[in-house]
Amino acid sequence: MSTIELRQVEKKFGDLHAVKPLDLTIQDGEFIVLLGPSGCGKTTTLRMISGLETVSGGTIWLNGRNVTWLHPSARDIAFVFQFYALYPHLTARQNIAFPLQAQGEARETIEKRVDEVVKLLRIEHVLKAHPGQLSGGDQQRVALARALVRRPAAFLMDEPLGALDADFRESMRSEIKRLHVLQHATTVYVTHDQIEAMAMGDRIVVMSAAEIQQIGSPSEVYNDPSNLFVARFIGSPGMNLVKGKYADGIVKMSGLDNNYAVPQAWKGALKKGLADGGEVIVGFRPEAAQINDRGNLVGKVYASEMQGSSAVLHLTINENEIIHIRTDRLIPFPLDTLVHFDINPQMARFFNPKTEAALKPEVTQ
Amino acid sequence: MSASESQFRGPSTKVRQRHLSNRAIVNLFIWPTLLLLIAMNVFPLFYSLYLGFTNYSAITRQAPVWVAFQNFSNILNDKNLWGYFATTGRYALLSVSLQTLVGFLLAMLVREKFKGGGILTTLILIPMMISPVVVGLFWKLMYNPTFGFFNALLGFSDPSKAPDWLASRFAGQPMPGLALWAVVIADVWMWAPFVMLLVLSGLKAIPEYLYEAAAVDRASSWFQFWRITLPQVAPLLMIAVLFRTIEAFKSFDLVMGMTGGGPGVQTELISVDLYRIAFLGQFRTGPASALAYIILIIIIAISNLYIKYLNKSKGEG
Amino acid sequence: MTTFEEVGPRLPVVEPTRVDKVHPRAKWGKSIRVILTLIVTFIMLIPVVVMVLTAFKSRADIVTPPPKVFFHPTLEGFLYLFTDRSVFSPANLAEAQANPGDLNYWQKLALSTGQKINGPSDYVGRLKNSVIIAGTSTILSVILGLFAAYAFSRFKIAGKDDLLFFILSTRMLPGVVVTIPLFLLYRLLGWNDTHVGMIILYTVFNLSFSVWLLKGFIDEIPIEYEEAALVDGYTRLQAFFRIVLPQAVNGIAATTVFCLIFAWNEYAFALMLTSETARTAPPSIATMLGSGGLEWSAIAAGSLGFLIPVAIVTFALREYLLRGVTFGAVRK
Repeated sequence: MSTIELRQVEKKFGDLHAVKPLDLTIQDGEFIVLLGPSGCGKTTTLRMISGLETVSGGTIWLNGRNVTWLHPSARDIAFVFQFYALYPHLTARQNIAFPLQAQGEARETIEKRVDEVVKLLRIEHVLKAHPGQLSGGDQQRVALARALVRRPAAFLMDEPLGALDADFRESMRSEIKRLHVLQHATTVYVTHDQIEAMAMGDRIVVMSAAEIQQIGSPSEVYNDPSNLFVARFIGSPGMNLVKGKYADGIVKMSGLDNNYAVPQAWKGALKKGLADGGEVIVGFRPEAAQINDRGNLVGKVYASEMQGSSAVLHLTINENEIIHIRTDRLIPFPLDTLVHFDINPQMARFFNPKTEAALKPEVTQ
Repeated sequence: MSASESQFRGPSTKVRQRHLSNRAIVNLFIWPTLLLLIAMNVFPLFYSLYLGFTNYSAITRQAPVWVAFQNFSNILNDKNLWGYFATTGRYALLSVSLQTLVGFLLAMLVREKFKGGGILTTLILIPMMISPVVVGLFWKLMYNPTFGFFNALLGFSDPSKAPDWLASRFAGQPMPGLALWAVVIADVWMWAPFVMLLVLSGLKAIPEYLYEAAAVDRASSWFQFWRITLPQVAPLLMIAVLFRTIEAFKSFDLVMGMTGGGPGVQTELISVDLYRIAFLGQFRTGPASALAYIILIIIIAISNLYIKYLNKSKGEG
Repeated sequence: MTTFEEVGPRLPVVEPTRVDKVHPRAKWGKSIRVILTLIVTFIMLIPVVVMVLTAFKSRADIVTPPPKVFFHPTLEGFLYLFTDRSVFSPANLAEAQANPGDLNYWQKLALSTGQKINGPSDYVGRLKNSVIIAGTSTILSVILGLFAAYAFSRFKIAGKDDLLFFILSTRMLPGVVVTIPLFLLYRLLGWNDTHVGMIILYTVFNLSFSVWLLKGFIDEIPIEYEEAALVDGYTRLQAFFRIVLPQAVNGIAATTVFCLIFAWNEYAFALMLTSETARTAPPSIATMLGSGGLEWSAIAAGSLGFLIPVAIVTFALREYLLRGVTFGAVRK
């Protein structure tokens, strides 16, 4: 069992609150991703779990042990760094064997385990080289091997693919995921790339400004973002967010006279959840809108992007707001033409502009 | 905004300018420098070579007389001279190794930044910027057995029981080699901060994550020093060692300020001896030139090493 | 401060490898470092402090043991350094003391040591020489070096590496080796003991250094600026003056100061190639003789004059020090 628990863990650097007190429970064998923009506190949180950073408050529990003040080497974790951190004057093989040697393992055990991970990561051919002679991808594989060789309770990875070329990143992504499945190991993975997070995570912890914004499975954070930040950050392009005023079941969107009829399920929630004046933000994913000549909403073509089998259409709703619609209609859309569309009622979401929080539909059961 | 309103004085396109070709620029820029250097360095070298084969003396009015290899064989057979070479070698060895050690230790000490660290570092870099002859003079004053500070600081209150550094005596008894040590100490004082600076710059370049990986892997402090710190710093140390060794062989100013080669010949470095032969007493220019050439060859050999090492580390760095 | 909830067995803490990690106890390590560094700095500065103190001591204070830290400061040293004096005979001394008249501070000071000021000493002239020679040669070596450095930096030149090596190697020669033939050459040209001779010598002496150092600085200026200028219609020369030069100002300043220091401090060549007219300060300081041997207060006072500009300059150039002393080989 390798569960990780963070209880009210926080970190301050002087006056700077790098991580506000947070609670997080990571299940045994889970691949959890800490996702967020630079400076949101995700890396600091990871480093606190590893022990490379001390906590300013709170406790960290690994398998029921309080490890808050333990030295990193005593926590039974492995850490994979963004820049590989391979010892430059040892060969790849020596790098991989090193953690076991430091632990005082027997020679045969070391040989056996090293061979195992080398085979797993398919790096037999680079063993004799020094890190400086290897490509980024190979270096990262060696770093992964070094992490794997100890069979720790948890793997902590700090943007391990950040330093690699784009094509490498994709293949390494699937390798890491595959390794995770084979090893059944608890993994905490930090990244700023939401595509990576969505592809790899069992659960995603979206962070911003030193706080957790939402914890959920990829589909949860994608389809039911809990606030505007998550809505914008997840998905590329992000969720469309259009301002409007709500009254009596209709959202008036400024410009182009759009009146959006709110789905039945939301009417009550909207009435309750909005302040006077009824300002609301309507959110919908590019796939949630459908181009329909008899659609109720309209926008003006700003640009269109061909993306192979589908296209993304950028429409202006009013002067400042551009929404993106994904369509598989490949007919040309000249600039400034008016396009009508509908929003799929199942996929519409609403946000309170002041609190930025998502509104929850009433459960009418 | 029309062109005439533009504040930016762009290139004149009206008049077709005669401008220098790249070739001409290169020549114009480089040749004056090269010519000066050749005239003042290469030519004297050749002239000196010629003189080495003569018995010319600068103060007489006689023309140089060719004596072929006599000067050279005199030098190579002169035991005293070999002694001076040995002294210079010993001086270089002691001075460079101590500088390196002290400088390295200083760097390890200062490594962590703290408030005012910058000022302190700058302060201890002053010694290497002072004129070496002036440094020699300070230390001469400090080493004075009667009223110098050095003995007092070391705890010797009674001059008769204290070392007389520059006279190579201790409590009245001769202690050969002491004077050389005195010069070495002054040289180390001047240049250890330089080594410290060099090592510090190397230490700064070591990425933090290497140490962190070592922490996670439970690496011993020894491993971290040996495998992470030292390899990064070693090339810079090499540069320091080579550079300072060359300088030690050339050393002249410091010794002249402090001892003038004495007592006796205990601090007679080879450059001092050369000066004595060429410019004092009989102005034996011919033999001096021969000796100068021998020194030159030795230094070229060491310099070659230095340049090669420089280029190699630049290539990797 | 939050209190930590400790539930479960507390495992022993492994010795941290980073001093500032994990335990408050680690803070002590840092304090020890600071104290040690202060001690070492103090020790390193003692000779300088001694010298500064000596400059303000009277003759008596200097030569009587034990060496004093506290004493009555005086400007005697500077008097000895800058003036030429003669000793009063006892009769004249008594007379002068009886009728002080309108004497200025320095004359009074001389009187208190039983001497009369005759005029400025040789040292004043030597200082002037130092300024002229060091200053002029620095300007020349920086200008020439700048042009050469630019050419080496931007153009493909046949045998560039060899030429650069040659330039560097000229600095590797021991001064004494080059002086012997130069002495003869200068004698031939009539340049011995002349300002011209020394200026040219120092220019060449500093040229190899300034070329290397400046080339390093120019290498760091992105070439894209000049390329953009060329596209805009500027000639190479115009690009050099308008674009490269302004950006290289820092490097030029640093190089100038280094050259100045080296020329100012130079002793060996000055010793061997000058005697009276063009003699600079360093050889003079070493031979300040007083009535009973070396005139230490004068030497110290003169050394102070060397020390102060160096201290100022070291502080101003602290970022470039490493680069300067290794000829641009090492850049932090």
